[in-house]
Amino acid sequence: MAEAATIAQTRAAPARRHAGETAVAWLLAAPATLAYVAMILVPSLALVVLAFTDYELGAPGFRWVGLGNFTELMADRGFLRSVANTALYVLFVAPVSVALGLAIALLIEGGRRGRALFRALFFLPVVSLTVAMATAWSYILHPTIGPLNALLRAVGIDGANWLGDSGTVLLSLGLIGIWENAGFNLVLFLAGLTAIPRDLYAAAEMDGVKSAWDRFVTVTWPMLGPTTLFVVIITTVRAIRVFDTVATLTQGGPNKASEVILFTMYTEGFSFFRMGYSAAITLLFLVAVTVLMLVQNRLIDRRVHYG
Amino acid sequence: MTLDLSISRRGALGLAGGAAATLAMPGIVRAAGVDLVVHYSMPAIFKDAQEAIAAAFNARQSAIRVSYVNPTPTYEDGAQLILRQAATGQLPDVSFQGLNRLRLFAERGIALDLRGLLKDEGDPARLGYSAPLLGLGFHGGSQAGLAFATSNPISYYNADLLKRVGADPEAFPKTWDDAIALSAKIAGLGDGINGMFFRWPGDDWMFSALLYGYGGRMLTTDEKAVAFNGPEGLAALKLLDRMVKEGRMPNLAASASSTQDLQAFAAGKLGMMFRTTAQVRAISQSVGANFTLRTTVMPVIDPVKGRLPTGGAGAMITAKDPNRQRAAWEFVKFATSAEGTSLMVKNTGYVPTNQIAIDNPEYLGDFYKQNPLFVAATKQVPLMIPWYAFPGQNSVRVTQVMVDQLARIAEQKATPEAVLADMATEVTKLIPTP
Repeated sequence: MAEAATIAQTRAAPARRHAGETAVAWLLAAPATLAYVAMILVPSLALVVLAFTDYELGAPGFRWVGLGNFTELMADRGFLRSVANTALYVLFVAPVSVALGLAIALLIEGGRRGRALFRALFFLPVVSLTVAMATAWSYILHPTIGPLNALLRAVGIDGANWLGDSGTVLLSLGLIGIWENAGFNLVLFLAGLTAIPRDLYAAAEMDGVKSAWDRFVTVTWPMLGPTTLFVVIITTVRAIRVFDTVATLTQGGPNKASEVILFTMYTEGFSFFRMGYSAAITLLFLVAVTVLMLVQNRLIDRRVHYG
Repeated sequence: MTLDLSISRRGALGLAGGAAATLAMPGIVRAAGVDLVVHYSMPAIFKDAQEAIAAAFNARQSAIRVSYVNPTPTYEDGAQLILRQAATGQLPDVSFQGLNRLRLFAERGIALDLRGLLKDEGDPARLGYSAPLLGLGFHGGSQAGLAFATSNPISYYNADLLKRVGADPEAFPKTWDDAIALSAKIAGLGDGINGMFFRWPGDDWMFSALLYGYGGRMLTTDEKAVAFNGPEGLAALKLLDRMVKEGRMPNLAASASSTQDLQAFAAGKLGMMFRTTAQVRAISQSVGANFTLRTTVMPVIDPVKGRLPTGGAGAMITAKDPNRQRAAWEFVKFATSAEGTSLMVKNTGYVPTNQIAIDNPEYLGDFYKQNPLFVAATKQVPLMIPWYAFPGQNSVRVTQVMVDQLARIAEQKATPEAVLADMATEVTKLIPTP
């Protein structure tokens, strides 16, 4: 209030008023700026510095190793495997959970009964704690006593060792990832759908759009553009960041078959205590994610119609 | 946890009164009025024991007060905490760490070399520290700590499943040949039942149980080259291979945190499990009354040369001030004394770490009579040697390399010969070059 009064009084002197406004703006932005600098900018810079050292947790000092960590990474079987696994995981989880989220959202939106129930059911995985769910998944996917394989046996199929076999472990983790992400995307799409004005559908019908598919292609899909852009980016980020299911269910095993980038980063830094090496992985990860987001944003943004 | 609470209280009371061994505390006068800060991990297992020990220690003298910082959930978290605090200068005075991680702290100059303090005490055997027990905390030329709670691998079995295939639960296999044959028989019952699971995932501990069983060792005595790639290592891997091939051992999710083997066992679908005795309490709770749970010693590989690795926790002194170091030493000495170790055993089921408490049935005789599942591990005490801690900055990483290689055998993707060669190549890259 006091500031508003001051601003009102100084209306006659534009230069001073401008200076005062700038000061107030800085004052108001200060807490967030300070937090950003202290919590994100400084640690990130420290990370960049660490990436060029051989610092180990608890070690009295460190040596500069230049690009040593990066050259070691390029020859590290575990790291290369974890990059490949993460890429596979993202290529599987992101598109499927976006498509599934959209499909379920359309079904719920188009349905007449039990909307709230279905919304809640599909959203449950998002609010449940992954670490707690891991025990349940580990039991469901158990090769001998698990309900899934019991079900398969009942119809005469020999179930796989879902989490123990290097051939199926990434697939299993991917399916769990989709289970987690689809519900989240569903809610975003539902919000996007309710924002589409009803009269657009009426107008489309006047113009001769009759089938549900045509309505989707001509109205729903273009109008969902901004939502879809957001969902695609956020899902990609969430998929790249996969960590909890790996840490609780497989720890990258068997023999690195489910090793993913964030888990490698964690084990190198906090299990093996090689902070410098871990920082190098983080730096590469940050650069890769930023580039990916920029490219995605540019590519998709061009085609998005902002109503 | 409840079953021995009354015993431990009685034990704690008894302590205040008697036991001459640690009553002589020459350091106390010099270390008067110290508030000792102590850290430990895995409160789920150690909270009751630690609190009983601190209460007994605080009750018997007034010069040193022991208090605990928030315990960390796992050994790994505990190691991280101390390493971080070493960097910021906020170390506690005493920390209880996984036995295989003591070396890491000694190499970084965080754990005090206890040889000086031990020397002042005279003959360590008088305090109940036999040479093998001291060896558990001795790494790379430094007495990095003292063993506080130890464990070794034992056999768990479902007596009901053994009876179903006509095997006598009183005569559990003494050799791996018999154990593997029995496993195949139990697996033959079908209905999702498996014969055995040897807990190879997680770390190198259970692999070293096989390697030591043949009398092998991880590195050469000068620690400059791998030594597991000889006939003992190959025999160990071949045995694991036979468990899978002949014993029809399932590959139950290859991770340290996986509980699939425990789930199957508790559900009565697994005949035998080979893993640490530290799990006795948790396993007997999860089994409940589903079936008759029994434990016994591990099948013997080489009756003469064979040994078993020791898991568990050790106490190390992280205080820098000489006065605090002496006070810390008094507490560490008490925690590992016959009385301290008895309190630890009664509250956890781990193996005692003081020779006096092991030899003299006055301390723990009643406890073992009432808790027979804990007895198996104590019978193997003479076989226990240190869980090998690799030197250098890749100390922990090496163990992961080994587990990854073992997974290839569990999945039947490579022969023991190929795995041994690859394991040797990869580990060689990770140990310090002379």
